Amino acid sequence: MTEQAQWLHSQIETLASQQVHFTDRAFWLALDKLVTEQDQRNSQLQGEVDGRSWRPDRW
Amino acid sequence: MKTLVLVSHPRLTDSTSQQFLKASLPAQDVTWEHLESQESFNVAREQDQLRQADRIILQFPLYWYAAPAGLKQWEDEVLTRTFVYGDHRFPLADKELGIVVTTGMPEKAFQRGGAEGLTLDAALAPLAAVASRAHMRWLPTFPIYQFGYLEEPEKLQLVVDYQRYLTQTQPDSLEQRQAWFGHRLPAMIDQLPPEQQATGRLIQAELDQQKDDIEALADTLAMIKEQEDD
Repeated sequence: MTEQAQWLHSQIETLASQQVHFTDRAFWLALDKLVTEQDQRNSQLQGEVDGRSWRPDRW
Repeated sequence: MKTLVLVSHPRLTDSTSQQFLKASLPAQDVTWEHLESQESFNVAREQDQLRQADRIILQFPLYWYAAPAGLKQWEDEVLTRTFVYGDHRFPLADKELGIVVTTGMPEKAFQRGGAEGLTLDAALAPLAAVASRAHMRWLPTFPIYQFGYLEEPEKLQLVVDYQRYLTQTQPDSLEQRQAWFGHRLPAMIDQLPPEQQATGRLIQAELDQQKDDIEALADTLAMIKEQEDD
């Protein structure tokens, strides 16, 4: 997980823990999962871009 | 998007799962109706509700591989042949039909060789056939297995998964999930105590940035792939 995602994760977690209503807490925790998913997708796409750009046969 | 949730359960007040789902309903754009609490169906009113909805959710516990009798009665009375397809107007065409089904058995039971020996899709085939006849779009089913055994983190997750099933644009992709949360985030930030709102706005800005970055990477990748095809 990137540093930025970790920071975001801790901010959301704190916010979630401060919510009184169950459904509000649920929203922030689900948002946290979205952040993780975004971070994963970002690094996967970055990896694919790097991998496809690395084409020794086209040198 | 307007969503109509039709719940069939013979003893709704005794059902912890149905009460949980009711408490989890999104605040807006959802109409909730319990079928068994009506002595008789006002067919014109029921049909009108169906016409006005964009997404129709049938929600029930699985009893002997089918919905409770109350839902069948509603189908038989409200989904008249003329209404559904008889006059070739197809008033339900292109609406989405989703099924929220609770089961007493675990997920692994619903497969060939499992304890139940059939998949939920197979058990729900008659409802899927109705959807097909009405030219509706069948959504992937939303099963809730053994609600009574769910721990708190799973219940917290269920709240939002259920809300998304009711109101998020299909298909359930990262893009649509980002849009769903992005749409709700401002209102959620507004209802935070003033001292938490700045954090909320920072979170929103970060999410938007991530979304833009992902889009930019996807565009770059598409370009690279296009060149590879040349």
